[in-house]
Amino acid sequence: MSSILCPEIPSPGFSFENCRRNAMLEVKGHAMPKAQKTGTTIVGIIYKDGVILGADTRATEDTTVADKNCEKIHYLAPNMYCCGAGTAADTEMTTQMVASQLELHRLYTNRVVRVATANQMLKQYLFRYQGYIGAALVLGGVDSTGPNLYCIYPHGSTDKLPYTTMGSGSLAAMAVFESRWKPDLEEAEGIKLVRDAIAAGIFNDLGSGSNVDVCVIKKGSVDYKRTYDEANIKGQKQNSYKYPRGVTDVLSTKVVDIEEVSVRVIGAPEDMEIA
Amino acid sequence: MELANDWMNAAHSTGTSIMAATFDGGVVVGADSRTTTGAYIANRVTDKLTKVTDHIYCCRSGSAADTQAIADIVGYHLEFHSMELGEEPLVEVGANVFKELCYNYRDSLSAGILVAGWDKKHGGQIYSIPIGGMCVKQSVSIGGSGSSYVYGYVDSNYKLNMTKDECVKFVITTLALAMSRDGSSGGVVRVGIITEKGVERKVVLGDELPKFFEE
Amino acid sequence: MSILAYNGGAMVAMKGENCVAIAADRRFGIQAQTLATNFEKVFEMGPHLYVGLPGLATDTQTVREKLRFRKNLYELKENRLMSPKVFSAMLSHMLYEKRFGPFFVEPVVAGLDPKTYEPFICNMDLIGCINQPKDFVVGGTASAQLYGMCEALWEPNLGPEDLFETISQALINAFDRDAVSGWGATVYIIEKDKVTIKNLKTRMD
Repeated sequence: MSSILCPEIPSPGFSFENCRRNAMLEVKGHAMPKAQKTGTTIVGIIYKDGVILGADTRATEDTTVADKNCEKIHYLAPNMYCCGAGTAADTEMTTQMVASQLELHRLYTNRVVRVATANQMLKQYLFRYQGYIGAALVLGGVDSTGPNLYCIYPHGSTDKLPYTTMGSGSLAAMAVFESRWKPDLEEAEGIKLVRDAIAAGIFNDLGSGSNVDVCVIKKGSVDYKRTYDEANIKGQKQNSYKYPRGVTDVLSTKVVDIEEVSVRVIGAPEDMEIA
Repeated sequence: MELANDWMNAAHSTGTSIMAATFDGGVVVGADSRTTTGAYIANRVTDKLTKVTDHIYCCRSGSAADTQAIADIVGYHLEFHSMELGEEPLVEVGANVFKELCYNYRDSLSAGILVAGWDKKHGGQIYSIPIGGMCVKQSVSIGGSGSSYVYGYVDSNYKLNMTKDECVKFVITTLALAMSRDGSSGGVVRVGIITEKGVERKVVLGDELPKFFEE
Repeated sequence: MSILAYNGGAMVAMKGENCVAIAADRRFGIQAQTLATNFEKVFEMGPHLYVGLPGLATDTQTVREKLRFRKNLYELKENRLMSPKVFSAMLSHMLYEKRFGPFFVEPVVAGLDPKTYEPFICNMDLIGCINQPKDFVVGGTASAQLYGMCEALWEPNLGPEDLFETISQALINAFDRDAVSGWGATVYIIEKDKVTIKNLKTRMD
């Protein structure tokens, strides 16, 4: 519903109002732009006391590195995190939405939500969009049933596994896991294994790069190690390229002063005038 | 140039060997454990034998996403049905619910499913629902890409009213033969034996599989 | 050629010491034909909040109006200014709503938090994936060149004067190698007590 005075009352869900126009533009020969992808390495393992998730931190837009240090391990619930690969916006928005549903679920049921519940929500949502929402996820968490690790594909299929990898660097990372993963790893061993798997992706897959993020989830605690390992350190600039002041030729300058916003004191209401 | 590999977006499919065979007191279901995306093995320990109710299982082949979604939905319907009924649903009812979904959405699904189970009215039964949504009752049935290699073996070696052990051995051998010839099947053999008592699960690891003359 | 490059345009924002800067070119064209050299792509969304919308010009203006509407409604309801973080989240969700039929803009947001005056910059892709680095963000047709310029020129803790030189030179030298952007540039230096808007002299070819 809309009118001149009230231009839009947003309706929930996706809007398709630009689709016809965009299809027309495409027919006229304008290529559709590519969205930001996370050509990624993401991994997860189950170890002795819980799960460990890992991710690289590179986001790419075609071949350009769009973000050198992005966050690919998303929050879902206090006992659950989720790594995302694929279309960056899809992984971000899908996990945000499920995180809010899980929080409501927790409040309704007054229980720690189960990882299986999150898995079911994610797979049903992705299945509904038949793979058009390009989110490939590694979901990990600890609940009353113990540690749980799921691998969720964009079309909505899921695998429950003790160790898993996803994204363009998944082959490199899986090679590390297949040779070194074993049941009941100690925490330090587990973190080392995850780091090495991500590093394999960073150094052998062009779509993955920068740093290693690690998230250790145990019963009752989460240790999110953002930039656990700075796998690629930039060389220190030995000199400055800084331009001296006054280099830039300025045509006109306008300065807008910003006043401190004064505090408005609302006094007692005036007496009504009764004449 | 695309940095992310194309197979990342390719639909996940269970190029599969699955089968089910009835015996004297029930039914044996079996499957390999390989899930592939293109040439990459995305999961080598997949469980394609999915529980629908306590006495009904399904063997999934085709798109992993489609068959998982269908199995979940049928599981939901049958649980609801058994609550209204106050007893366990018949296998043919389960098969019919599968068929209804597979047929109505035949244009958008790629799923070949074997529904197998035991009920007290008809004992062990198998219903095959191939792509397109047909439903047919069989006493032995095979499915998935690996099945083409073993039709002859099944036709010549399956006997009605086998004992449980004979039937399990038959299923394992058939699947081992299928897996050895089909590149998109492999891993371990998973078996489920459904009888009046419920389900007994077995796993035959890759190095324990029956060997044939070549090896 | 991508529809994002139909009208041309280059955009960059940088963080400094207690200040942020956002700069854009002023060209508006239809492919190779330049129609105007006074086209605004950066818009004021609050005393300390600016948003740049490089991309398809029709969507630049549509999205600007939609943002103005939603931001005004927020400020009427909440009786407080919108922080850059909230603004970016709003914009991100607005773009993602059109996931399957997007607006062709790649926004750049720059501002100071209205309470803490903490510098904030971010950019997004056309379906609203937020990118929030510590140094600089770019957008538009010269983004590849801008990444290179900024990567070389930017350094931490630049004051407003130095930040101005850095962002201006980064932008000018980037879009001089882009045929569909340039023709003048505007730089906004946002500080706690003032915003300085400068028009730059550039090549006009």
